[in-house]
Parts: sequence; structure tokens; C-alpha cells
Amino acid sequence: MARVKLTDVTKEYGDVTAVNNMNLDLKDGEFITLVGPSGCGKSTTLETVAGLTKPTSGTIEIGDREVTNLPPKDRGIAMVFQNIALFPHMDVYDNISFGLRLRDFPQEEMDERVDEAARVVQLQGMLDRMPSEMSGGQRQRVAIARAIVREPEVFLMDEPLANLDAKLRVNMRTELQRLHKQLDTTIIYVTHNQAEAMTMSDRISVLNKGELQQIAPPLVCYNEPANRFVAGFIGSPSMNFARATINDGQLDTDDYSVDFDATVVEELEDGDDVEMGVRPEDLYLADNREEAHDPSQPLGVETDVLEPMGDQIFVYLKPVGESGSGMGDVEERQGLLMSVDPDTDIVEEQSIEVVIDRARIHLFDMQTGDALSHGVVREAATAEADDGEAEAGDDGAQVS
Amino acid sequence: MSNPQDTVAGSQAVGGTETDDWRTRLVEFSKSDFVRSFPFWFVPFSIMGLGVYGGIGYNTLISLTDYEGFNEGPDYTNLDLGMYVQAVNDPWVWTTSKNTFVLLIVFTTITMLLGLFLAIMLDRGIRYREKIQTIYLLPMALSFVVTAQFWLWMYNVNNGLVNTVVGLFGLGPYNWIGDPQLVLGSVIFALIWQFSGYAMVVFLAGLQSIPDDQFEAAKVDGASVFKTYWRVIIPQLKSSSVSAAVVLMIFALKAFTFLFSMFGQYRVPKGTDILATLMVREAFKLQNWAYAAAIATILLLMALAVIAPYLHYQHKQGSL
Repeated sequence: MARVKLTDVTKEYGDVTAVNNMNLDLKDGEFITLVGPSGCGKSTTLETVAGLTKPTSGTIEIGDREVTNLPPKDRGIAMVFQNIALFPHMDVYDNISFGLRLRDFPQEEMDERVDEAARVVQLQGMLDRMPSEMSGGQRQRVAIARAIVREPEVFLMDEPLANLDAKLRVNMRTELQRLHKQLDTTIIYVTHNQAEAMTMSDRISVLNKGELQQIAPPLVCYNEPANRFVAGFIGSPSMNFARATINDGQLDTDDYSVDFDATVVEELEDGDDVEMGVRPEDLYLADNREEAHDPSQPLGVETDVLEPMGDQIFVYLKPVGESGSGMGDVEERQGLLMSVDPDTDIVEEQSIEVVIDRARIHLFDMQTGDALSHGVVREAATAEADDGEAEAGDDGAQVS
Repeated sequence: MSNPQDTVAGSQAVGGTETDDWRTRLVEFSKSDFVRSFPFWFVPFSIMGLGVYGGIGYNTLISLTDYEGFNEGPDYTNLDLGMYVQAVNDPWVWTTSKNTFVLLIVFTTITMLLGLFLAIMLDRGIRYREKIQTIYLLPMALSFVVTAQFWLWMYNVNNGLVNTVVGLFGLGPYNWIGDPQLVLGSVIFALIWQFSGYAMVVFLAGLQSIPDDQFEAAKVDGASVFKTYWRVIIPQLKSSSVSAAVVLMIFALKAFTFLFSMFGQYRVPKGTDILATLMVREAFKLQNWAYAAAIATILLLMALAVIAPYLHYQHKQGSL
């Protein structure tokens, strides 16, 4: 168990900056997820912590030691790899004990620790099997056992579930959380899957193009995204975005207008453009407007395609020609996605009225993408303009 | 087309007369994969069967006779193992067997180790990998006749390059070819030069199929570079090693081409006389057909002994 601290870590490959000025401060025993699209620098960040890659500049501390220039074996870390990376010519026992044998552990203690690790991941009685004789999930357990047998201070996991099938992935997700509770070790977990990040972590750090976008508990990332990228990346299906112009207490998009309280974002004036974001679940049918915290005036729309998911229905909305609340040019419109209860009486090509929960409308700066406000009415506004980017990273870290 | 016939034949068979049963079977047989694929496999199969296995069979038959010279054909009435007895009692057969064995072991071992070493070096990311790979593989592309001839020149006792080089260190000159103590070593060295590139390419392919995370996993577990290769990587090169070894060993057994090109005659220096050269000499210089055939059979058995572990390995892997 140890805290992990990255200070100004930058990694450049020639002209390409894979990681740019990364600052992370992990509490002891925290489960933190690095999440982002391919090539965002999350794996590179993990490799610098592991010692497989040396950062171009910046320092890395594990516990109270600076480890920036130490080889992986002296860092007190263990790693689980995306491709599992078991040694195919060794049986399970040899795979798990490989690190211990290199350190010349006495046979007796080695047996004890291997047995214990195998018990934790429920692999008892399989120690003499070869990796090729095991299923994907079992191999993943061996890889985890190989990591925990060394009793590391920090676990590093590089997309460990990416190669498992969907059902197994969900199971292993739960098991990893259980394991974290049991071992109480700091875990850094890399994934491109936002669902894994949401469900497993104490805090999520969202990366894009080598830069940290936000580090915060999952629900904070979801409800108060620091910028447009986080808003679009976290949450499935993705947030609806529309370009809006401020016009006398109104947010005018091409298709509709929403009243808002201009005082929530003081620096904006009439005529300024903002990016407006609404999650599908913050749109309601006008009949159910009381479910919204602060419903907007009704907007007339027409349903396009329905996607019944079982527990909810995703409804694609399109404007109804010239009618209703200022629907504009059909060619230019942004589609709008709404989720409704599965028992809602709704069909395709139906004219309906919807309301937007104004307490859940996010405004982002057109240029920088930084969040300006979460909620466009005074009492519900939760974040101020300058709370963007790296500052948001301190949301939970301050506790330590 | 044939389906209705099938049904008819089938229903008649249910009717139960023996002729119908026989007809059904014939129809079934004519439509089986075996019959329908016959034109495709029979020709190559018979050519290979006749050329290779027929040749082996005929050779074995000759070795059981006392056939020699050109005057009359072999006498098949009196078959015995006389030639094999003669071979076992012939000290020359033992000498050449010993040379064959030394060539086989030393050449194969050193070539593999050198090839593995080169492959690891290249795999560790020396720049211009492709060019270097080509440079090492190039000797393989040269004809034996060419390499044998220029190694002969390089080994020349008076003005060969090898003696010039060792002369720089105050050694020699050595009679690399003339000295029976040295000649086998000289030949093996030349062969290693020609074949280590091949071994390297085989190992390099094996190394490159091992994913990076094997190296990373070993590194995180605390293995040094040497231990990573020794305990994690090289054990995974088993199938590359087996295929390289089999090719090299079989070549060592039939190194006749190289030796014949080098010395330009059937009688090669005693130090480097191997079973293959002895066999050709007995047959084509002395016309002892039956005796040469017996030596050929012994050579074949040795080659089979070399391949047997490979076949066993393949069988165990389920690919045979």
C-alpha cells in the first residue's frame, strides 16, 4: 500500500508528445482508473509508473520514495497486462512463482504465498495446469495471482479485461472490485471502456491527447464534467450537444430555445455562442414534466427512430418542419436523443412535446471546451467557469 | 441430378434385394471423396512414390545383392546381408561415420548458437535490421560450388586470406586443408559461415512472434535481460529450434556436394571423409554398387534417426 504521485510527467517520442505534463496524486489504497480513447496516453502513463518507459521529464513517487529512475523490480509494483502475458511454457505454479524464484525465496515460503494467491483468485487445484489448458477467465486469474503473490504496494492493470468476452468481463469486473476491497492496495487501472471506469473506480481520470482532462469520482465526472470532452466521453449513450446563441435570457439553437438565468455565467453576453449539452435522460415528455427539477418550456418535435433496450427506450427526435418553438433549417439541425421508460406509449414518426431539465443543461465554452455551468438556473448551478481542467483534479484528492 | 437416383436406389435397398444393395454401394463409392479426388492426387503421389520410395526400395534390394561392375545385371536369387557385414567390418566406414557424426554435432550446435545469438541481437533493435538480415542471409543464396571454391582459396597455405589474418597475430601459417587434424574444422567453419544466416532467420521469425508483453512481464517480475532470455524467451523458441536443427542436421548428413566442390574429386582428404563421400566413391569410382547401396541405407537410417524426434514432436503437437 502506498500513495503514488506523478509530478509534471511528460513523455515524448520524437515529435509526438504522448503524455503532456501529467499530475496525479493517488491516495493510499485508492482504485483509480485512467480512461480515454486510443492514443490518449493512458498506457504510456501507466508504463512510466511501472518503469517500463522512462519519462522525458517529471518525477514519479511511490510511497515516500522517488522512483523515476528505478527499474520496475525495485518499485514495489506488479502489473497485469492486456494480453495476460502468461509464460506459455510454464505451468500455473511456475507462472505465479516466477517473480519469487528470481528473488530466491525459500521453497516453503514460496509455496505458502502461491497457495494464498491461488486461494484469493480461486485457482486452488489448478497449479499444475498449463496456460493453454485454461479458459480466458482462468488465465486472467493466474495473471492476477502472479501480481498479488509479490505483495506489491501498487497494482498496475493495463486493460486486463479487454480480451475477455462481454459476460466474463462483467464478472471479472465485480471480482476485481472484491479483490480491491480484500487487499486494500492502490490500483491504477487503464481502460478505454467508460463503463468499466464508472463502475469500478474511486476516482476516474479522463485523458485526451496526452493531457489530463478531469480527475474526480465517477459521478462527479458524470454530473459535472470539466469540459466538453469529458461530457462526451463519459456516459452511454453520449450527451446531446448543440451550438446555442445567448439572446436576452434565452439559449437559441437552430431547432429550439430554452430560457435560462443569465447570471449563472456572468462573463457571457447577448450574442455569445456556447456549446450546450444535455444527457438523454434529462429530456422528458411534456406530460412527465414534473419529473424534471426545472423543466423548460415544451418543445415540439417528431420521433424518428426508436431503440428499445428493455429497461428503457432510446428515442431519436427530429424537428417538425416550420411549426412549434423556432425550429430552424432542417439540414443544419442537430439530432436529439432522449431516453424514456420502456412502458411509454410512443411510436416512430409521432409528434410529441418534450421538456429539457434546465437544472441539467451543461454549457461549454465554444473555443476551449471548458465547462461554464452545470445547470442554467441559479439554484441548480453547481460549477463556476474557472473550475475547469486540472483544478477539478483536486475534487477528491484533497482528503488525503 | 443424382439426388433422385439416390432416393430410388435407397428405397430399393430398403426393399432388401442383394443386387440393389451392391448397386447402392457402388453409387456411393463413385461419389466418395476418394474417387472424385483421385485424378488430382494420384499423379503427384505416384511420381513421388516411384521416385522416392521406389528408389529407396530398389536401393535396399541392391544392397542385398553382390552387384558390382558393369558386365552383368544384379543377381536377385541370392539375397543376404553380406554387404552390411562387410560395412560393419570396414574400418573406413567407421572413420567416415565418426567424421559424419562430428560434422553433424559440431556444425549444427555452433550454427544454431550463432544464429540464435545473431537473431537476439537483431531482435533487440539494432538499426537497419533489414539490411543486416540480408547480409547474413546472403551466403545461403550462394551456390555450394562457389563458396567451396572461395573458401578453398582463402584456406590456401601460402597466400590464403585466412593465413594472412592469423599471421597478423603472429600465428601460422597453418595448412588448413592439408593437415588431417585441421581439415574437418576448416570445412565445418566454412559451412557455419554459410548456414548461420539461415538459423538466424528462423530464430528471428520465432522471436518476433513473441509479444512484447512477455518481455515486460519478465521485467516487472524482476528478471535481468539474461534471465529473461534464458528462462522466458528461449524456451518459447522450441519449435524454431527444432525446425532449424532438422534442416541443418540433414544438410550435415549430405554435405557431399560441398566437399566434392571443394576438392574436385571423389577422394577427399581422410580427415573430412564422411559417409556420403564414401558412398559416392564406392558407387561411381569403384562400381561397388551393392556395397554403396548398403552405405546409402545406413545413411538413410541415420537421417531417419535425426528426424524421428522431430516427427514425434510434431505428432505430440497434433500437427501430424
